[in-house]
Amino acid sequence: MRVGFIGLGVMGRPMAGHLQTAGHQLFVWARRPASAGDLAATLCATPAELGRCCDVVFTVVTSSADVEGLALGQDGLIEGMAPGSVLIDCSTIAPDVAREIAARLGEKGIAMLDAPVSGGAQGAIDATLAIMVGGAAAVLERVRPLLECLGRRIVHVGPNGAGQVAKVCNQMIMVAAIQAAAEAMRLAAASGVDCAGVRQALAGGSAASRVLDVMGERMVKRDFSAGIEARLHHKDFGLLLDAVRKSGVPMPLTAVVGQQLNALMAQGWGRDDTASLLRVLEVR
Amino acid sequence: MKIGFIGLGIMGRAMALNLVKGGHTVTVWARRTESMQPLLEAGASAADGPAEAAQGNEMVISMVADAPDVAEVMRAVAAGVEPGLVAVDMSTIAPAAARRIGEELAAVGIDFLDAPVSGGEVGAIAGTLSIMVGGSEAAFAKARPAFECMGKNIVHVGAAGAGQVTKAANQIVTGMGVLAVAEAFAFAAKNGVDRSKVREALLGGFAYSKILENHGQRMLDRNFKPGFKSWMHEKDLNIVMQTAHELGLCLPGSAATAQMFNAMVGSGMGEEDSIAVLKLLERLSGQA
Repeated sequence: MRVGFIGLGVMGRPMAGHLQTAGHQLFVWARRPASAGDLAATLCATPAELGRCCDVVFTVVTSSADVEGLALGQDGLIEGMAPGSVLIDCSTIAPDVAREIAARLGEKGIAMLDAPVSGGAQGAIDATLAIMVGGAAAVLERVRPLLECLGRRIVHVGPNGAGQVAKVCNQMIMVAAIQAAAEAMRLAAASGVDCAGVRQALAGGSAASRVLDVMGERMVKRDFSAGIEARLHHKDFGLLLDAVRKSGVPMPLTAVVGQQLNALMAQGWGRDDTASLLRVLEVR
Repeated sequence: MKIGFIGLGIMGRAMALNLVKGGHTVTVWARRTESMQPLLEAGASAADGPAEAAQGNEMVISMVADAPDVAEVMRAVAAGVEPGLVAVDMSTIAPAAARRIGEELAAVGIDFLDAPVSGGEVGAIAGTLSIMVGGSEAAFAKARPAFECMGKNIVHVGAAGAGQVTKAANQIVTGMGVLAVAEAFAFAAKNGVDRSKVREALLGGFAYSKILENHGQRMLDRNFKPGFKSWMHEKDLNIVMQTAHELGLCLPGSAATAQMFNAMVGSGMGEEDSIAVLKLLERLSGQA
């Protein structure tokens, strides 16, 4: 298949590689063409031109505004993609923006799936990402073989926007769990108990979790270099708290975790790992 | 002074009336034409739109709901007036939005002040509002006689946006203050203690505040009529939380309070006074 890819960052670069390895013909557009690196892909001049060449286009970028610009802006995908082609957006953006873009593309017969991922850089490299999909089920079935190159767990959550809602829920649980792990590690240290021992003991019981495994280990080793940069979780919390507000349902824990992330940003640790929430608890 | 006034809600109507009473020549405009009636009866004249409300005047004031409304009316104002006009927004909007609007107006030679108020409907009617002003010294000096008809405690805080920063700070204090009084009352009641006696005792000490005195009394009376509607307080706290997110600022108390107001709006109490947060607390702890 002729596959377009926009967004060759920490996540996008290995994902594009997997698609190519699977035998798909790859087209890329990048603001800095150098970021294509050693990918044997055809470089396109604009998103519109890339859209013209491809049956399916992937985007993996940072913000709602980025995706909106790529899809609907000047020389955007909407100007090039043919009716029947599919845009798969793997970025994490606001659910209502995802719905709006899907509706605009839909007017031209272009299908869209919101397909945000979880699993971090390692999951992208290992092709073990969890992919949460919003959009028409029939469209997902058409492109499922492509998604299977990228991840193991591909779940159709519901119509357009539903994938982004699932991602918001994912971030809510994950960052709260990192905060809980950080507080447990902080309590252990403040009580004069070995953090490594506590983490190891908990791993066998009801408090065991992937977060305690991975982020807990970073905290024990005091290795705060990013996996996923904390500033991205901070950005996601902006989306998330907006969604909470629109729902009119109180989310007290999420609100407080958001404030710990604000403190993390203020300390200048935005480009470090979110395990740095432990360091926020150590600020005196 | 010749003054245009845009937006005649609970607050705007009372404020515009005080300008008329103060001897100013006032032209009014509001989206709902019937809300202009009391002003016309008091001697103001009606404009056809926001641009007309500004034309030929030395000053134009807006008192509307949210930042997009302010941007819209000020854009209309900018399109049709001579340089030298002082435009004043007395609504509560985000500091960043106020700065943006100020810059747009400055580009066409209009001086802008952000001048949000505190004091509620009672203060608006009595002409005793607190007015917190951001913008240039010169524009503040021109607008001062108008402010003096509407308020008592008038402070020029700093440059553009500083008024809205002050108002946001005010909403942090009043939002948490209302919640604090409500929690103290819920605490007393769950312990079987008479809350009116608790209020009376606290009024003599360091927990004294206007909120404990006035809002506390209304909580005891279970008078939840606005006053200040809880959806508006929720909107204002959202300005606080968004600004904190943008700046990287940790405000745990405001965050918790914002969620309580979020819950009030979501459970249909948005049109009640913000002191109705007491009812939400009582429900959560099975006291209702």
